[in-house]
Amino acid sequence: MTRTRAILLSVTGLLCFSALPDALHLAPVLVGAQEPEYHPQQLTQQAPPPARRPRRRMDSHTALGLGRLPDAEAAKRGEPLYNQNCLACHGEGARGGIGPNLVRSVLVLHDDDDSEIAKVIRGGRPQAGMPPFTELTEQQQHDIAEYLHQLVELAANRGLYKGSETMTSGNVDKGKAFFAANCASCHSVTGDLAGIGTKYSQPSALIMRIAWPADHGPVTATVTTPAGQKVTGTLEHYDDFETTLKTDDGKTSTWSTDSVHVEVPDKLAGHRALLPRYSDDNLHDLTRYLLTIK
Amino acid sequence: MTPKTLLTSRTLRTALFGALTAASLSIAAFAQEAPSPSLDPKALTLFSKPADVWPTYNGDYSGRRYISLDQVNQKNVADLKVKWKYKIEGVTIRGSGNPTIKSTPLMVGGVLYFTVPDHVFAVDARTGKERWHYDFEDHGGHVLGQRGVGMYGKWIYFLTPDGWFISLDSGTGKERWRKKVADEKLQYFTTMAAVIVKNHIIIGVGGDAMDVRGYLESRNPETGELQWRWWSEPRKMGDPGSETWPTQAAMDHGGGMTWMPGTYDPELNLIYWGTGNTNPVYAGQSRKGANLYTDSIVALDPDSGKMKWYFQGSPHDTHDWDNVETPILFDTTIDGKPRKLLAQAARCGYFFVLDRETGKNLVSKPFTLTANWSMGLDKRGQPIPNPDKDPKVDGSMVDVPANGATNWPAPSYSPQTGLFYVNASEGYSIAWLYDTSKDPQGYAGGASGRIDSKSSLIALDTKTGDVRWKHVAKSGGEEGGGMTGGILTTSGGLLFTGDSNRLAAFDPANGKILWSSKLESAVSNGPSTWELDGTQNVIVGAGDTLYSFTLDGK
Repeated sequence: MTRTRAILLSVTGLLCFSALPDALHLAPVLVGAQEPEYHPQQLTQQAPPPARRPRRRMDSHTALGLGRLPDAEAAKRGEPLYNQNCLACHGEGARGGIGPNLVRSVLVLHDDDDSEIAKVIRGGRPQAGMPPFTELTEQQQHDIAEYLHQLVELAANRGLYKGSETMTSGNVDKGKAFFAANCASCHSVTGDLAGIGTKYSQPSALIMRIAWPADHGPVTATVTTPAGQKVTGTLEHYDDFETTLKTDDGKTSTWSTDSVHVEVPDKLAGHRALLPRYSDDNLHDLTRYLLTIK
Repeated sequence: MTPKTLLTSRTLRTALFGALTAASLSIAAFAQEAPSPSLDPKALTLFSKPADVWPTYNGDYSGRRYISLDQVNQKNVADLKVKWKYKIEGVTIRGSGNPTIKSTPLMVGGVLYFTVPDHVFAVDARTGKERWHYDFEDHGGHVLGQRGVGMYGKWIYFLTPDGWFISLDSGTGKERWRKKVADEKLQYFTTMAAVIVKNHIIIGVGGDAMDVRGYLESRNPETGELQWRWWSEPRKMGDPGSETWPTQAAMDHGGGMTWMPGTYDPELNLIYWGTGNTNPVYAGQSRKGANLYTDSIVALDPDSGKMKWYFQGSPHDTHDWDNVETPILFDTTIDGKPRKLLAQAARCGYFFVLDRETGKNLVSKPFTLTANWSMGLDKRGQPIPNPDKDPKVDGSMVDVPANGATNWPAPSYSPQTGLFYVNASEGYSIAWLYDTSKDPQGYAGGASGRIDSKSSLIALDTKTGDVRWKHVAKSGGEEGGGMTGGILTTSGGLLFTGDSNRLAAFDPANGKILWSSKLESAVSNGPSTWELDGTQNVIVGAGDTLYSFTLDGK
């Protein structure tokens, strides 16, 4: 497929061949234990920088094998044409009404070059009660077809999904009370959490941060060596087999993990203790409240 | 693929990646003169296999991945060393980069057969030298993974991302025929290692991006023609099971993909298959009800495709919890009576033990945290989903990680210990509903995981579902690493699996690490083992490289 893909993409001008090496650097999200998923804005907890969005979109579209990308400009022109001519029967977003759903339509999914969709628009489906739409130009037929392909893309390419920008539940006062009772012994909305609602303005990013604010920075640990000496430094590597510590003097030492005792401060003990206690309402209340801390 | 197109695509790769493919072409020409390895049908049995073959995805029909070989054992495992490695060169996977070996290689007649999406490799089992490489050019389909090939006589069976079912000559890699079995335009894709039962090639499908129906097929090994097809949902309202769907449309778009190899009991003449998540994936509002037979284990007659019983592991699934993890078959004695049982550690976080003759439930118990998405069990032993834990626009937290408590990598059962072993993910995730319309489509939501996540190897008591021991990897939290790949147990008192970029051997009785060897990346398939010329080999795939381990590397 690589070759077909590259040619197709260079024709549409959306990704030229020279851009491929960039895409190749992206390793699968998870190697062994689990299936990769495509939820870009939530894998990173914060929205990715706008400059990276097109590339990520290309990855999920390409890996999912969704064929050619719909023509976004044509789809934009097609939307009002659809709403005016087709929506009454095929429903909002083409999800079906008295006429069939067109997002899951086998004909639409197979129609790479829009010719089949155009044929139906032109000729109608007399047996099924669909009249011909002869007043629509070829360009307009194409634009409607591209709008339908765009709807397919939006449903099928979960790499494009976006979390909600606004909340539908939660209560600020209850969140404030929950915070006072459960969080205030470690956190303060005028201290460490000042501006948290600005920093994590998307509710889904903030709720994830509330649940588990893991920072992926350097970890300080204390290693008790086989000789009984205690050494503190930055944990460079730690698994079931090897432990590597870098000390302030810049030296690194590696031990067999089963020969040492490694103490890593558990900064998230309070959060861990809350996880089994939260109801979803608690989390929504807290999120609502902390969103007000601008 | 005709020889001509094979040459064309090879020419392309040569242009891109240098002269290395020219070498493989000449080896392929040489290999054409050797007789094609052929699999004796007697090699396929319930609980064993000949020492010198690995004839099917799970080794035998049971899925136990327990092998009676003890040349490598607890006393000498420290001497296990790499004998050879085979690195896949010049192959990139569309949209994902370097290939990852998820297949368990078959080994027949001294040749290993393994895959990545669009590629089959035949490699000499003694030397790791390539015999041939089949390179397929797809025209779409999801390239998530490829679990391997099936074999019948001298024929290899392979499935492509865009739904082609292909038969190859095991000696040359030359294509005999291809049949279209799934429509990639509807977002079906095929990744499975075919399971061969008598004269049936049994293949399943994947694909949950566009709300299509799951199915399982049996095909003729000589012609590739369809013998039967079983659908994951009842065909029409009024059929048994349709009462668990609100409408015909919901049922027609209900998902339930059959993407993992199942198991088979020749005596009962039943195949056991897991079905995948319900569609739309995270949105349940248009499909109220249990949604049979998605997220289930089904027992089918391999000659007719007729269902004998079902057990639904994740009724009305709204969390993408494909119930496809290997349904392992094992025999044991309970209250003095011999029992034929089936066990599965499911993605939804429950461990299930069933009577494999009747489907009657013996054990249903969470094996990581509490599986708080459920409110207990119904009278069949199936979890009852808690509607309050359905995905929400503002998020709903469950104590199962986003990709499930476990996933497709193979578990194992050792009759030496009577324990079931699974690589598990522990932690919490938040599930979101994105599409609130009355007729949502596709995934319609998502989940964010890695909340207090841990990666562990868990040994489960098959009589009680209790955790007998648990190894929590020191890596494997937010930073990744931890337990990876499938599990293999042997009569040498060893359990092989991946841990933190290593192949590791554990004591299956207590979880103590006995040995490990660093690899260039994390173990990505299920380890396997066989004996050739009196030497036991342990085979494992890690990223783009296949490794063979033997005592002292000899």
